[in-house]
Amino acid sequence: MKAALTVAADLLREAASRRWFLALGIGITTALVVLGFALRLEVVDGALAATRLFGREVRTDIRSVEIALRFVYRAAAYVLFYGGLVFGIVACADFGPSLLAPGRIEHLLSLPVRRYELLLGTFLGVLALSLLGAIYGAGGFTLIFAIKTGYWTLRPVAAALLASVTFAGIYGAMLTAAVALRSAALSAAVGVVLFVLGIIAGYRDRLDTFFEAGWAREAFRGFTFVLPRVSALADASADIAASAAVKPEVLASQVVGLLVFGFAALALGIHLFEQKDF
Amino acid sequence: MERAIVEVPPGGSSCKSSRVLAIEAVSVRKVYRGFLGRGAGQRALAGLDIAIPKGTAFGLIGLNGAGKTTFIKIMLGVVRPTEGSVRVLGGDPEDPKVRARIGYLPERLFLTNAFTPRQFLASVARMKGLSLGADAIANQLDRVGLSDAQTRKIGGFSKGMRQRLGLAGALLGEPELLILDEPTDGVDPLGRAEIRKLLTEERARGATLFLNSHLLSETERVCDRIGILAGGRLVREGALLDLCGSDTAYRARFAPGADVAELGRLGFRAAEGGREDFRVEAATPQVLNEKLDQARRAGALLVGLSHDLRDLEDVLAEALAPSAAASREGEAPPGSLRPSGGSAPGAAPEVVS
Repeated sequence: MKAALTVAADLLREAASRRWFLALGIGITTALVVLGFALRLEVVDGALAATRLFGREVRTDIRSVEIALRFVYRAAAYVLFYGGLVFGIVACADFGPSLLAPGRIEHLLSLPVRRYELLLGTFLGVLALSLLGAIYGAGGFTLIFAIKTGYWTLRPVAAALLASVTFAGIYGAMLTAAVALRSAALSAAVGVVLFVLGIIAGYRDRLDTFFEAGWAREAFRGFTFVLPRVSALADASADIAASAAVKPEVLASQVVGLLVFGFAALALGIHLFEQKDF
Repeated sequence: MERAIVEVPPGGSSCKSSRVLAIEAVSVRKVYRGFLGRGAGQRALAGLDIAIPKGTAFGLIGLNGAGKTTFIKIMLGVVRPTEGSVRVLGGDPEDPKVRARIGYLPERLFLTNAFTPRQFLASVARMKGLSLGADAIANQLDRVGLSDAQTRKIGGFSKGMRQRLGLAGALLGEPELLILDEPTDGVDPLGRAEIRKLLTEERARGATLFLNSHLLSETERVCDRIGILAGGRLVREGALLDLCGSDTAYRARFAPGADVAELGRLGFRAAEGGREDFRVEAATPQVLNEKLDQARRAGALLVGLSHDLRDLEDVLAEALAPSAAASREGEAPPGSLRPSGGSAPGAAPEVVS
């Protein structure tokens, strides 16, 4: 397990030098700094009296800060969830193939490391990367609004962590694809397909009415049953951020389903990795 | 020469002995699986038998596709044999405890450009379970001539510097077995000499050395045992002197002005490498001295005498001659001789790992 953590730490160090992640870090920091300086919120007796962005007044009704921020946090949660997922799929697609690069994988496998530790380490590294990004972005965003309004909540951070967990589930399948055929393009394609199918799967109860009752509808339901419910998790993430009611048992089943999908994909990847010659 | 060169019989290496073995392979076959992948269905090894005692410096040579890299990967557990068994340092190559005692330098080591040499070595040390301080890492970098580049990013390194860094990683933890695939590839001549010195130090420490290099002169200088791989089999194997040398052939050097015709009459034949060098066959020291006395009486002044060693290239070409003949007849087995492109007829074969 120590070797897996070493692989994960090396991946984080490698990511810190990649343009994608440098751009992400600079982008998040810039957005937070601009938001911090350009946004003025006037709070009077717990109500948001006025909002100014770059000195211009934004027309809003006077309402309690908590209510006003719900809309902001909901929108931010959606942006972070879908944006983070797309960014993660594109930016992390190369980590698996890079691990398996000729000259690297032989060297790694010649070290006293179990094969599964290499793959697990890569998975954990990417998971840590997405968690750090989510905590930094969502944490900074929440902190700025908390300081400006005096309304403190960790709900947007919790929503961002749900986005990270969702990405981890998808990344398990991306990593497996990379093991099967060392290709960043294939890995990214698997991520994008799962992302799109996951949106469909999240709305399967509404969409299945488009299919005639019978084998077509059952086939659709059967196919989407095994997929991560991306859109449903995005809605749950937004609800958490906006302090809306979330059915715990529904959310738990979606998260458990996602974890089962992710770990099954990762287990398949490890199995393929164990069998493979390099 | 028949006595000196050791032909490897099917089913066993000639150097099996009671000594402790560092590497032992028995009837190892490897056929790559798959249908569409590169090299799928290709037979890389066809019943390889080898036994390398601990403390040996063993050089494996052969042509492209002979199976050298595949065998190295099998020794490291990176590739699994289709048939046969391999034991390294007395254990299973896939056992992490065994691999902890091996240092490996791949042919083309992939290094993360963003790392510094210190970070790379620290990472390798952690993977090997070594707790090395900054000083130990600095010493290791100093040892391979990279002390001035400790804090530079690897991305800006030349091929030779990368190779040195890879070697530093392989040497971490004083491994019992060093497996080096083209260790001097891309390294300048002075750097090669430094690497040879390092390898000599490692051998003096007691490490076993397994070298795969297409630079035959390098192999000759570093190794004391040589194996020639062709078509996935070990076709010759033995001590360097046994393979390249002869007990009855000598090389004599005379001072300029010797009567070449008279020397030729006495059995001294002009040798390659110098106008004053002559090759002479003598079954015993007595015969040799008689011939030398006759040459001296004929006015030749002896200035040097040594056993006549053939180049490893000649030994390789001789070992692969049957494969070359098959190749000419269009029946080349994997790993058979392929003349280098554009070379003259009869030129030495291209030897690339």
